[in-house]
Amino acid sequence: MIKKITSCFRIAAREIRIIAIDHSLLLTLLLAPLLYAFFYGSIYINKEEVNVPLAVVDDDQTTLSRLITEQLNNTQVIDVVGAKDVNHAQYLLDISKVQGYIYIQKGLEEKVMGLQQANMVLAVSVSRFLPPSDLLSAVTQVSMTVSAGVRLQYFKKKGMTEAIAMQETNPVTLDYRPLFNERTSYGAYLLPGLLMLILQQTLLIGLAASMARERQEHTMGELYALAGDRFTTAFTGKGLFYFILYAIYALFFLTVNFSILDLPIRGDYFSLVLLIALFIATLIPMAMWIGSLFKTQVLAVQIMGFSTYPFFLITGYAWPYEELPPVLQALSAILPTTPFLQAYTSIVQQGGGGAQILPQVAHLAALWLAYSVFLAINVRRKFRT
Amino acid sequence: MPIVLQIMIREWKRIFTLSVHYWALVVMPPILFFLYAGIYQEQKVYDLPIAVFDEDNSAATRQLIFLLEQTETIHFTRSVNNYDELRDAMRRNEIMGAVHFPRRMEANIKSRKPATVTLYTNAAYLVPAKLIYKDAASVLLTGGSGVILQKLVKKGMEPAKAMALVQPIVVSTYSLYNPNYNYRLYLVPGLITVAIQMMIIMAAVLMLNYERTTKTLEELVVLAGGSASNIIAGKTLAHLTVSWTNWVLVAWVIFPAFDIGSTLGGWKFFTLYSLMALGCIGLGAMVSAIAKDTMLAIDVGLFYTSPAFVFSGYTFPKWGMPWYDQFYAQLLPYSWFLEGYIKIFTMNLPLAFAWPEIRGLLWFIIVSYPIAVLVFQKQCNKILGV
Repeated sequence: MIKKITSCFRIAAREIRIIAIDHSLLLTLLLAPLLYAFFYGSIYINKEEVNVPLAVVDDDQTTLSRLITEQLNNTQVIDVVGAKDVNHAQYLLDISKVQGYIYIQKGLEEKVMGLQQANMVLAVSVSRFLPPSDLLSAVTQVSMTVSAGVRLQYFKKKGMTEAIAMQETNPVTLDYRPLFNERTSYGAYLLPGLLMLILQQTLLIGLAASMARERQEHTMGELYALAGDRFTTAFTGKGLFYFILYAIYALFFLTVNFSILDLPIRGDYFSLVLLIALFIATLIPMAMWIGSLFKTQVLAVQIMGFSTYPFFLITGYAWPYEELPPVLQALSAILPTTPFLQAYTSIVQQGGGGAQILPQVAHLAALWLAYSVFLAINVRRKFRT
Repeated sequence: MPIVLQIMIREWKRIFTLSVHYWALVVMPPILFFLYAGIYQEQKVYDLPIAVFDEDNSAATRQLIFLLEQTETIHFTRSVNNYDELRDAMRRNEIMGAVHFPRRMEANIKSRKPATVTLYTNAAYLVPAKLIYKDAASVLLTGGSGVILQKLVKKGMEPAKAMALVQPIVVSTYSLYNPNYNYRLYLVPGLITVAIQMMIIMAAVLMLNYERTTKTLEELVVLAGGSASNIIAGKTLAHLTVSWTNWVLVAWVIFPAFDIGSTLGGWKFFTLYSLMALGCIGLGAMVSAIAKDTMLAIDVGLFYTSPAFVFSGYTFPKWGMPWYDQFYAQLLPYSWFLEGYIKIFTMNLPLAFAWPEIRGLLWFIIVSYPIAVLVFQKQCNKILGV
């Protein structure tokens, strides 16, 4: 047993020597995780979308229309840009100076005061992800507030007290409570998962490249010799270094990056650490197995480089898992990212603990076993002879 | 046959025989394009699991539950009896939201006391949370307006005037270019084109230096008469024509098959695409000339291109990013291409509207090719002993 452990550490030390002389592995495994974590993280440092340019065409030019414009500009989301007419507003939209425009018709105030419905036109460009829904939501909110103000004034004029008038204005109120991301910010939603995706992809690319390198340089025999010709010792030793390195990265991200980006960990920290450890342990045989399929290191890095977006998009984090076609659901289920991100989100963002993530833990354990078996079969088939 | 054409034909052969080229330019494109289109096959999100927490159990709440169930995204899958049960179900990912109707809600409404309906969403998953809010808010606010309307009419107000008081300002919304908020329409083209940028660059960074790996550099230099510009021009033409086959696949197969866009490709899209492809090939050639080590070139290609989608401003707007991220976005051909693509394809504007983006893409071409030629010419001279 002691001999096996010693062999494992000797193989881990060999892995460090290989990485030290291979600048590609050095870059992918030592520089990229930290660089990406800060670089990608900084994109969403403001977390929320603010100051989306919206053109306002005010044909009414009354106290009420100016109040509406002011209210729109006072929202966090909207940055009002003046436009002289609808054609001008459309031109601003065409040249991407604004993301939408609002047209306030002439006679709006007069109609409202005369108890007639008035009309406002909102045109938004649905060509990007966030701006249209945020603009729509902010404009609806402003129009509802103004409408409530009009009703309040009417009821007060009818002789109601302020309190009764308020009750009459909004007899049914909607209280919206977005749980686990109170400001429904894009950054708070994406960043925790993104940091783990960086961890995953650099590990997959780096370790797959290292395995492909063994095949390219014909050094698998040397690895087996160090392991006393034992598969488990050889690959436990090789994986050991990556496990320790990525466990350190994970702890660094959870403390330093989470703190800089002001991301809370709402759930049980100990369960989170165990979950990440299991995740890394599952990624290691997966990366080794994938790497063992490539003949050259260049090809391994090139092909694995294309995996980042597909892996992320089919995990159910960005697009609901249930909406994926059955084939992609099956593909998603064989990725460790899928159960991991569900469990990780449950702990980090939703404040969950070990009890809530047992199915995902079992799923990860099954994947660890499956990838270890795949690795064993492929390595025995290709290298032992 | 002119030397440039001979080199182009030679490069075609390399593209279809060397794994580092054909994987990136021939095998991966159809796989990724169909995968991305397949992810958003449903186009919209339907029937998300929602819980109801009904403490009133009145005719009014049953009516509201019925109306909520009729929306696209809301599907009541269970009921909960308290807040803790609700949170626990969310943590287990069993529900994506919940609606709470308080005790005596109907009675309070009838007796002029305000009632509050609470909508909970699991905002750790942003897309479902926003969709649930949109649908639920529409139903619940309409319900609230209905209550006001009924009260005013009961008091003897004319229905038209009562309606004007309930909703003094009607906002008529026009969602331009993608009226149904179809995710496939606005995510698939972006994902496909960012993959294309990556494929072109990842193959082009091996365009020159991989000749050393295959031990064919000298033969190539001799064939080109020692002219780096002939080599780069011939290879660029080969890579550009292969990138056009991917354009055909996207514009003539994927887009029509998945009902993306109203026109088949079109020359505007082709022009912009070709400029992006030329810019990417130029950048790849430049890296390939400078970095003799193929692994280093691949690493540079990978680390340069992989953040392109998030930096492009397609998902999170550029104006929300810090200045240095906005600056980096300008250094990626994809950011320029995407802005232009939105104008000429999504918004169907004349190509002239994309002039700022075309100018941006031209800069990549103007800068990268001369550097690639200058650096590679030195290597050619060395090989020929000039």
